[in-house]
Amino acid sequence: MGAFGHYLVSHFSTLRLEFWGLLVGGVANGLIYGMVAVGYTLVYGVLRLINFAHSEIVMTGGFTSYFVLRGVIGTSIPNGWATVGVLVVGMVAGGVSGAVMAMLVERVAYRPLRRRRAPQLAYLISAIGASYFLFNLAGKEFGRVLLSVPQPYINHPIFSIFGAPVQLYYLVIVIASVGMLILADQFVGRTRLGRGLRAVAQDSETASLMGVDVNRTIALTFALGGALGGIGGFLLGLGTGVVYTMGFVPALKAFTAAVLGGIGNLRGAMIGGILLGVVESLSIAFVQPAYIDVVAFGILVLVLLVRPTGILGERLGRAA
Amino acid sequence: MRRLTESLRTPTGRRAITSIATMAVVALMTGPSGSATEPTAGPVGSYGERVSIFGLFAGPRWFLFLIFAAIMWGVWTLWLQRGTQLRSAASMALTVPKRGFALKPVRLVFYAALIAVGVVFPHVVTSQYWQSVMVEQIAVFVLLALGLNVVVGFAGLLDLGFVAFYAIGAYATAWVTGSLPTPAPFGVHLNPFFAIPVAIVLVMVAGILLGTPTLRLRGDYLAIVTLGFGEIITIFANNLYGITGGSYGSGGVTGKHGIPHFSINLGPIHYRWTLNPVPYYYLTLVFVIMFIVAFSLLEHSRVGRAWTAIREDEVAAESVGINPLKYKVMAFAIGAASAGFAGVVTAAQTIFIFPATFTLQVSINILALVIFGGMGSIAGVAVGAMVIQTASMYLLHTPPAGYQPADLYMYLGALLMVTMIFRPMGLIPSRRRRREITLAEAGEGHMNEVLTGENP
Amino acid sequence: MSGHGTGATVRDAIFVVEHVTLRFGGVVSLNDVSLTMERGEILAVIGPNGAGKTSLFNSLTGVYRPQEGTITFVGRDGARLSVIGKKAHRVSAAGVARTFQASRMFSALTAFENVKIGAESHRGIGVAGAMLRGPMTRRDERQSDRRTVELLHFVGLQERANAISSSLSYGDRRRLEIARGLATNPQVLLLDEPAAGTNPTEKRELATLIRKVRDEMGVSILLIEHDMKLVMSLAERLYVLNFGSVIAEGSPEEIRANPAVIDAYLGTTNTASEAS
Repeated sequence: MGAFGHYLVSHFSTLRLEFWGLLVGGVANGLIYGMVAVGYTLVYGVLRLINFAHSEIVMTGGFTSYFVLRGVIGTSIPNGWATVGVLVVGMVAGGVSGAVMAMLVERVAYRPLRRRRAPQLAYLISAIGASYFLFNLAGKEFGRVLLSVPQPYINHPIFSIFGAPVQLYYLVIVIASVGMLILADQFVGRTRLGRGLRAVAQDSETASLMGVDVNRTIALTFALGGALGGIGGFLLGLGTGVVYTMGFVPALKAFTAAVLGGIGNLRGAMIGGILLGVVESLSIAFVQPAYIDVVAFGILVLVLLVRPTGILGERLGRAA
Repeated sequence: MRRLTESLRTPTGRRAITSIATMAVVALMTGPSGSATEPTAGPVGSYGERVSIFGLFAGPRWFLFLIFAAIMWGVWTLWLQRGTQLRSAASMALTVPKRGFALKPVRLVFYAALIAVGVVFPHVVTSQYWQSVMVEQIAVFVLLALGLNVVVGFAGLLDLGFVAFYAIGAYATAWVTGSLPTPAPFGVHLNPFFAIPVAIVLVMVAGILLGTPTLRLRGDYLAIVTLGFGEIITIFANNLYGITGGSYGSGGVTGKHGIPHFSINLGPIHYRWTLNPVPYYYLTLVFVIMFIVAFSLLEHSRVGRAWTAIREDEVAAESVGINPLKYKVMAFAIGAASAGFAGVVTAAQTIFIFPATFTLQVSINILALVIFGGMGSIAGVAVGAMVIQTASMYLLHTPPAGYQPADLYMYLGALLMVTMIFRPMGLIPSRRRRREITLAEAGEGHMNEVLTGENP
Repeated sequence: MSGHGTGATVRDAIFVVEHVTLRFGGVVSLNDVSLTMERGEILAVIGPNGAGKTSLFNSLTGVYRPQEGTITFVGRDGARLSVIGKKAHRVSAAGVARTFQASRMFSALTAFENVKIGAESHRGIGVAGAMLRGPMTRRDERQSDRRTVELLHFVGLQERANAISSSLSYGDRRRLEIARGLATNPQVLLLDEPAAGTNPTEKRELATLIRKVRDEMGVSILLIEHDMKLVMSLAERLYVLNFGSVIAEGSPEEIRANPAVIDAYLGTTNTASEAS
C-alpha cells in the first residue's frame, strides 16, 4: 500500500503543479472534439446512426487547408490583420472541403442504401469502407508522412491564467470553435433549414408529408456537420500537422464526446467535448502518454454502460 | 451552354458524369503514388513524369480512362435496357446445377473433390513464396473469416476489433510455450498443441467479458466499442515490455527464444513440424475443415435459428423466449474461438510474433473477406477469403507499376462500399440473407431500418 | 368460468394487475390500471385508438417497464412471477405468449422454422451439442419437429409448412403467429388485434381457432380487438380502456349497455394520441 500511496502523492503533486496548464490544453483540445462531435450528433439526429466516415471529413479539411495555406503564405509568416485573414481563409478551406466531402460520402455511401431500405449493418459497413478508402487514397496521393502546416503566426504565450501560459494557438482554437459552435447552434435553432432538419429528426415521414425534402435535408445535415468537422481538421492540422491517418483518433474521441454529452444533442456535444478534453489532459499526470487513448476509450465504455443517454440526455431533433 | 447543362441533367447525362467521375477515381487509385510536393502525380501522364497541378489533364493515361468511362457508360446503359433479361437468363442457366446440388450424393462427391484439390494443391504450387502464403495469409485468414462470419453473418453484429482475439490466441501460445518475457504458467513449457485449449479458453473468456456488457448496446455503438477494444489490445501489446515484449515482439529486448513448432509424441509416433510450410498447410487445412463442419452444423441447429430470429426481429424473438443477450455473447465467444485457433497457428509457424501483425487494419481486412464472400454464407466466406487474399498477395509479390503495399486497404475499403451498394448478399449468398435483403427492399420484416420513421 | 364479477372475488387468477402507471416522458400511457384475468377465460381489452391497449400488452409481456404498480403472473403450479422489471424472454419462459399488432414473423424463414424456433427456445443453448450432433441433440430435434408439425396441423397450416412466412396471406400469418406462440407451451396467449387486415371468412375461422386454443389446449386468451362483432361473440368478459384508464368492466351485454363506453367511442376519440 505504501508504494501505491507514494504513487498517488507524487502524481497528485505533479497534477497540482501542472493543473492550470493541463486545463488550458484540455479545454482547447476538447473544443475541437466538440466541433467534430457536432457532425456525429447531427447525422445521428436524422439517420439514427453513427457516421463512421466522419474521421475522413476531418482529414479532408486538414489536407485542403494545408494546401491552401501553402499556396497563400508559402514559407512566409504574416502578422497583424494578415494573420487573421489567413486563418479565416484556412477555416473556409477546411469548412467548405469538409462539407463537400461529407455530402459526397452521403451521396455515394449512404443514399443508395437508403433507397434500398438496407438494414443498419449495411450502412456501418459501407461507411467503414468509405473511410478506409478515403484515408488510404489520401495516403497514396499525398504521401504517408506527417506534413507540418505553414504557420500563419509565431506561436507564443500571450497571457497567463494562474501562472499557466496560454499560447496564441489555444486562443485561435477557442475563438474559432466557440464561434462556429454558436453559429451552428443558431442555424439549427433559428433558420428555416434548421427547422426542416429538426422536423426530419423527429419524424421523417411526417416531415416529408409536410413538404420537407428529406433527401435535401439529409444532405444539408451532412454538409453542416462536415463543415464543422473540416474546420476541426484545419485547427488540428495547425497544431500537430496533417497526415492521412489524422482523422482516426480525434474522431473516435469526438464520438466519445458526442455520447458523453448525449448523442443527438448539439449542446451536449460541446459540453462532452470540453469534459473529455479536460479529463484526458489531466490524466497525463497519472498515466504514460501511450495509454492516453486508453483513458478516452475507458470513458466511452463507462458512459455507454452506465448512462448511455449521456449527460444532457438524447434529444433527437429537439436539439437546441 | 444551357443546352449542355440541361443534357447533363437527363438520366443519360447523369450516367455519363458518374462514369467519368468513377473512372477518374480509378485512374487516381491505379496511378503512381504522389507526395506532399507532387500531390497529383497520380493522374498525370507517364510514371517518370512529375508535372504540377496544372498538368492534371495531360498525358495518355487520362485518355485511356476516358475511353474506359465511355465503355462503362455503354455497358451501364445496356444493362438498364437488358439487365432484367440477362439476370433471368443467368438464373435459368443456374437452375440445373442448383437442383443437382440439392441431391446429397452430388454434394458429397463435390466436397470430396474439394478436399482432394486441397490436399494435392501444395504439390501443384511448389513456389516457396506461395506455399507459405497459403498457410500464413490464406488458410489462417479463412479461419479468421469463418469466425467473424459467426459474429457478423449469423448474429448480425459488427465487430471491428476481431483482431484482438487473434492477438490473444497468438500471445497465449507464446505464453504457454514459455516464449514471452513473462514466465510461462507454473514454469511449464508446452507444445503448441497444448496451447490450443488454453488459447481457446482465453479468447472465449475475453469474448464473454467484452460481450456481456457491450452487446446490450445498439449496433453502431457495439462497432465503436469493439474497435476501441482492438486498439487497446494493440496498445497493451506494444507497451507492456515486461510481459509481451512490447514493440520488440515476443522475443522482447533480451531476445528470448522463439515459439516452438507443433510436435506430436504419441507412443511410437514422433513428428515435428518445421519451417517447411507444407506440413503447416495440412495442419491448418484440418483446422479449416473442422471449423467449416462445426459452423455448418451450428448454422442449421437451434442456435443458428435463434441467431436468425434475433437478427430479423429481436422483439419477436424475445417474445418466444429467446434471450438475445445470451445468444449474442455466444456468437462472440464462438467466433473468437476460431480466431484463437488462427492465433495459435500463426504463433507456432512464424516463431516470433509482433504487435504490428495485429492492427486494426487486419480487422478491416477480415471484415472485407466476410462481406465480399457473403455474410452468413460459409462457402462464400471461405471462397471470398481465398480470392481476396490470393489477389492481395499477388499484388504484394508482383506489384504493378504505382502499387504500394499500403494501397491494399484503399482497395479493400472500396470493395466494402461497392459490395454493400451493389451486392449486399456477397459473392455466394446465404439463402437466408438473400431472402432478408430482398424482403427488406420490398418493405417487409422488422430488421433495424434506418430512417423509416418507425420508432418503438 | 365466464362472467365473474370484479377482481375482489377472484378464485383462480392468472394475471393480477394493480395500479399500473406507465409514462413516456410527459405522456401518460397507462394511468392507474388495475385488472385481473382468470385462468381459462377469454378476456378482451377494447378501447379507442391510443387508449393504451398495446402498452398494456407490452407491460404484461415485459417489453415496457411501468413506473408504478404491480403485475403478477400466477403459474399453473401457483408460482407467482412479478412481471415488472423482468425481461420479455423470462416472461415468455414463465408461460406468457403473444402475437403482434402488425404480425411480426421471422420473415425470411419458413413457416415450419418459425414455429420450431418457438418450440425449442426454452431448451438450453447447447452449442457443443449442436456442433457435435450427439444423440441427445438429435432426439431434441426430433421432438421439436414433431411438436412443430402438430401445431401447424392444429392451426391448419400443414400444407404451407415449407412456405417462406412472408409469402403467406394475412390470415395465415395470424395463424402462424398463434402457432409460434403456442409452441412455447404457454398458459396464456395475448393476441394483439388478430383480425386486423383479414377478410370475413378468415375472421370466422380465426374466432373458431381462438376458441379451439382455449378449449383444447387449455390456454387462457387475452385479446385486443377493434372488430366489435368478433369481440362480442368471442370474449366472455371485457375491460374498456380510454386515455390509459379502465372505464368499464363486465360481460359483453353489460359493456354494450354501459353509457361511459358509448361516450368513449363516440365522444372524444379524435383527440386521443396514439401511444401504442
